[in-house]
Amino acid sequence: MADKETIIGAETRISGEIRGEEDLVIRGRVDGKIQLSHALTVDKGAIVQADVDVKTLVVAGTLVGNIVASESVRLLASARVVGDLAAPRVMMDLGAAYRGRVDMGDIETARAAVASHAVAKPAVSSADATKARPAPPRMAAPPKVVAMAPKVAAPKVAIPAAAPPAFPRVTGAVAGSAPAWAKKKIRRR
Amino acid sequence: MANTVIGSSIVIDGEISGDEPLTILGTVKGKVSMAENVTIESGATVEADVEGQTVIISGKLTGNVNAREKLELRPESKMVGNAKAPRIVVADGASFKGNVDMDV
Repeated sequence: MADKETIIGAETRISGEIRGEEDLVIRGRVDGKIQLSHALTVDKGAIVQADVDVKTLVVAGTLVGNIVASESVRLLASARVVGDLAAPRVMMDLGAAYRGRVDMGDIETARAAVASHAVAKPAVSSADATKARPAPPRMAAPPKVVAMAPKVAAPKVAIPAAAPPAFPRVTGAVAGSAPAWAKKKIRRR
Repeated sequence: MANTVIGSSIVIDGEISGDEPLTILGTVKGKVSMAENVTIESGATVEADVEGQTVIISGKLTGNVNAREKLELRPESKMVGNAKAPRIVVADGASFKGNVDMDV
């Protein structure tokens, strides 16, 4: 393995695309895209801003980008990762910081999205809209609906197209009575 | 051990820059600009303008070289492009096509 390994040193910066069939260790900076049929290691201190498609991924440094690993992903304690993650096996050590979506199921969909990077973002947002979009609206939308009572009609038209049926029921309950109930009960007690 | 090695099966399309020695065994297209030595090993293919302290070529390079100290074309090397360096070594067996500028 020793001679079949590529190392991007701590003082080196690559911007562009890296492809290959051997192990890659990044200690410096990479911006762009990484596609490997082997293992990628993002060492402590490394900063990678790239979409990553590899077999196994180990992160100890900072990685921003969407990740697809056909085998496994491991985020060590010092890892700082932002981006969606698709792999059949995912390990996160205590202390690892991660923000994004984890998918341990269908890798091929995620891989296709990462492979065609330009097409990926619109494709994900429209095709996965029913899965991806509801999460933020459930947190954020109800207060908005309450606040903008006259505009309730507009969200109702827009949301059912993308969201599952449960969503309107939730907003209806919250928008209709929840704030009033809450205030009254508190006062009575 | 502060080194960057681009392995033989790696293809990089873009820009490499940095402040440490770089060894290329694979394929690089774009631009290479290092403050330290750049070595293009035999078997490597580089289609890029290369900038470095000492640039040693054993593989194949298409592009201009700007070496601050020395350019070395080893036997079996193939280079097409302009060479700019204060000192240039061309070994027997190296093939080279391009302008040479030694700052004279």
